[in-house]
Amino acid sequence: MVVPLISIILLAPLASFAIFALLGLAKRNFPRQDYLSTFAMLVALGCSLLLIQEVTSEPTPLTVEWLSLGSVNFSMGFYLDSVTVIMLIVVTLVSSLVHIFSIGYMHGDPRYSRFFAFLSLFSFSMLFLVVSDNLLGIYIGWELVGLCSYLLIGFWFEKDTAANACKKAFLTTRVGDVGMFIGMMMLFAEFRTLSLYGDTGIFEAVATLESGQIAWLSIAGILIFCGAVGKSAQVPLHTWLPDAMEGPTPVSALIHAATMVAAGVYLVARMFPILTPTSSLVIAYVGGITALVAATIAIVRFDIKRVLAYSTISQLGYMMLAIGAGSYVAGLFHLTTHAFFKALLFLGSGSVIHAFHAMHAHHDDAEHTEDAAHEHADNSLVHEHGSEIPPDQDMRNMGGLRRKMPLTFITMLIATLSISGVPFVFSGFWSKDKILGGVLGRAMEWNSVHHYILFAMALIAAGITAFYMFRLIFMTFFGEPRNQEMHDMAHESPWVMVVPLIVLAVLSFPVVNTLWFNKDYIEPPPQHHIPAPQHAYVSPDSKIGDANFGFSLFGVSTAQAAEEDAGPDTAQADDAYHIHHRAHNIAMVLSICVAGLGILLSWLFYHRRRFSAEGVATTFRPVYNLFWNKYYFDEFYDGVLVALTVWKSRLFAKFDLSFIDGIVNGVGKITRDIFAAFIGFFDNRVVDGFVNRVAEVTWAAGGRIRKIQTGAIQTYLFVVLGGIVLIILIFRLF
Amino acid sequence: MSLQHYLVISSILFSLGIFAVLTRKNAISILMGIELILNSCNLNFVAFSRFVTPAETIVGSEVFRFDGQIIAIFGIVLAAAEAAVFLAIILAIYREFGSIRPDEVDTLKG
Repeated sequence: MVVPLISIILLAPLASFAIFALLGLAKRNFPRQDYLSTFAMLVALGCSLLLIQEVTSEPTPLTVEWLSLGSVNFSMGFYLDSVTVIMLIVVTLVSSLVHIFSIGYMHGDPRYSRFFAFLSLFSFSMLFLVVSDNLLGIYIGWELVGLCSYLLIGFWFEKDTAANACKKAFLTTRVGDVGMFIGMMMLFAEFRTLSLYGDTGIFEAVATLESGQIAWLSIAGILIFCGAVGKSAQVPLHTWLPDAMEGPTPVSALIHAATMVAAGVYLVARMFPILTPTSSLVIAYVGGITALVAATIAIVRFDIKRVLAYSTISQLGYMMLAIGAGSYVAGLFHLTTHAFFKALLFLGSGSVIHAFHAMHAHHDDAEHTEDAAHEHADNSLVHEHGSEIPPDQDMRNMGGLRRKMPLTFITMLIATLSISGVPFVFSGFWSKDKILGGVLGRAMEWNSVHHYILFAMALIAAGITAFYMFRLIFMTFFGEPRNQEMHDMAHESPWVMVVPLIVLAVLSFPVVNTLWFNKDYIEPPPQHHIPAPQHAYVSPDSKIGDANFGFSLFGVSTAQAAEEDAGPDTAQADDAYHIHHRAHNIAMVLSICVAGLGILLSWLFYHRRRFSAEGVATTFRPVYNLFWNKYYFDEFYDGVLVALTVWKSRLFAKFDLSFIDGIVNGVGKITRDIFAAFIGFFDNRVVDGFVNRVAEVTWAAGGRIRKIQTGAIQTYLFVVLGGIVLIILIFRLF
Repeated sequence: MSLQHYLVISSILFSLGIFAVLTRKNAISILMGIELILNSCNLNFVAFSRFVTPAETIVGSEVFRFDGQIIAIFGIVLAAAEAAVFLAIILAIYREFGSIRPDEVDTLKG
């Protein structure tokens, strides 16, 4: 059943796209592409749910040989373990909901069908990436989702900003992909295969390496992580993701929040067995720095989608940090919960934008005579704040929307509570706590300074996350309307948009946790090159230490009891168990504290107005400027990398013009003036001379010989007679 | 009269014919030379037939063969036809060039 189900999951969205593409060749349109694509995704979702029971504890790759080059075989195939199934469910579920939401959001767009066709293609690519059992398949899916991301960010390509953003996204991720490809080739060069699983797969081969041979493996791991840095928008390649918000909001929700950007995390999780201590630490630090940097930038954004974009980057950093710190399950758990609540936040923001957008269109219709004045107002805004924000996405135009859009408000509030880590009833708390506990557990277990630092980063980022997310909620939904005119026009979105919000809101409660707290279901793959800690090695994710919170709090005490029965059988493992238990307690208390602090500060700043945010910004002007200018990453790239590239091109151009052209021209000149002259002389004198001599000789000979032909018949007769006489004489004489 | 006499006469006739063909300035004269040559040949045929070909004995009596004589008659007929064609050519040449002197008809001169 596995192969047919996976085939249906892959083929349904692909067929939906193929119908669009093939009809497109005939310049036709399927009349209800939206229903077709949505239906395809729902089919895929159903099959994904059916796959849950097909998961076995010892999954085997389902492989066919694809390409054979000499002694090297490339295979294509599926690998179905619990993580794959969970990813499949997340992707198909979010994708289905986004499809449904888009029916309302994209209504009336001139390229309505194309949008759904692209969503289908994206879903196929992402699902293909998820189920592939080898690096080649993953890479193919990886590039396909990159392409779809490009197409969908630039969906409104009439806008210059969108056209530039899609190019930026494509090129920036490409930088990471090059690293990933080099990493793949390093593995390939060593193991002569790109398969991951099975007896001949990379993971089996990695397990047999000596500990002295793993320096290159660290490099390969870091290079493969480079691909994830690009795709998951980690520092320093994160700058494309905020710009990618130029795409339609459902795209931001599906691709740039829930699935594609999470593909990087998924990739690193898939490659978990090849990670070495060095590469793990690099991954963890990049993730930690990303989490902090993006969270601080998000504090000062005013564009509702940009806030969410930076929040996404920050949360992705969190996941990277978790996997780098060895908390495999925690990272993927956070990926799942984050996919749901972040998709919800984006769709909610889409709902808000939609409400304003409809108003905006109306406004333009009614008062197009005052366009000039309107533009002027926009310009002053740009000058004032140094950044261009569409008015319908600017949180400074919002406020008090909770009465206008109650359902959007409630669902977004749930998602915000979840992402902020409000304890116990929201899924985000569990996954975030699992990460914090995992990192702190490893820090205490290994007594490692690095992991303490990482824990501190994660903790601070968690506090900041709570702060800026509540800032968003307060600015958008609470207080008095700042722009009365826009406020009056705002309205609740149609049902087709609200229903996905409600479904996602339900998923932001810990219903998804059941998948992850099932201990027989999820087990991190072994990492052969992470050295045993001072205490016996126990994965921070393994059943002990974290799951019991989840279960006891929901009254599932049997699981905990069973666990304690099984118990650690050595004193060392017992040690590790206690360490992790303690780590999780500490982490939980701390994370609740920082989340509470963040929310409290946010409330004081943005709701009660006890403190003035502007005042703080003025006091800490340099820090504020740093955040406002996004740590000058874009300026750095523009000023250094782009300028360097341009300078380099100029240099090369100059080199080309002077040196290469000089050589070419010089060779041309030498050829023309010397060789050509010599050869011309030779041709004119020797060759032509010979030819002319031959012709002259022939001419002269002809001139003589033709005299024989006198035209006088009697002469001929005489010669004939003479000839006969001569012949007779010859025969007579000899 | 032996074969030699005939051959001598034939040679004289042939030589006169050749002389006429090579030297005459009038196409008609050349034709007449050619006729002489032909007739010398005919004379040869008849002479050789008479003197060289042995008589065959058919049903007890000696019978002469007349092969040479018959070929001579063919030659005479041929000469008549040839004369007709030649005269036609001469007429055509006359119309074209206004002359029947062969040394004036030299368009093919190299």
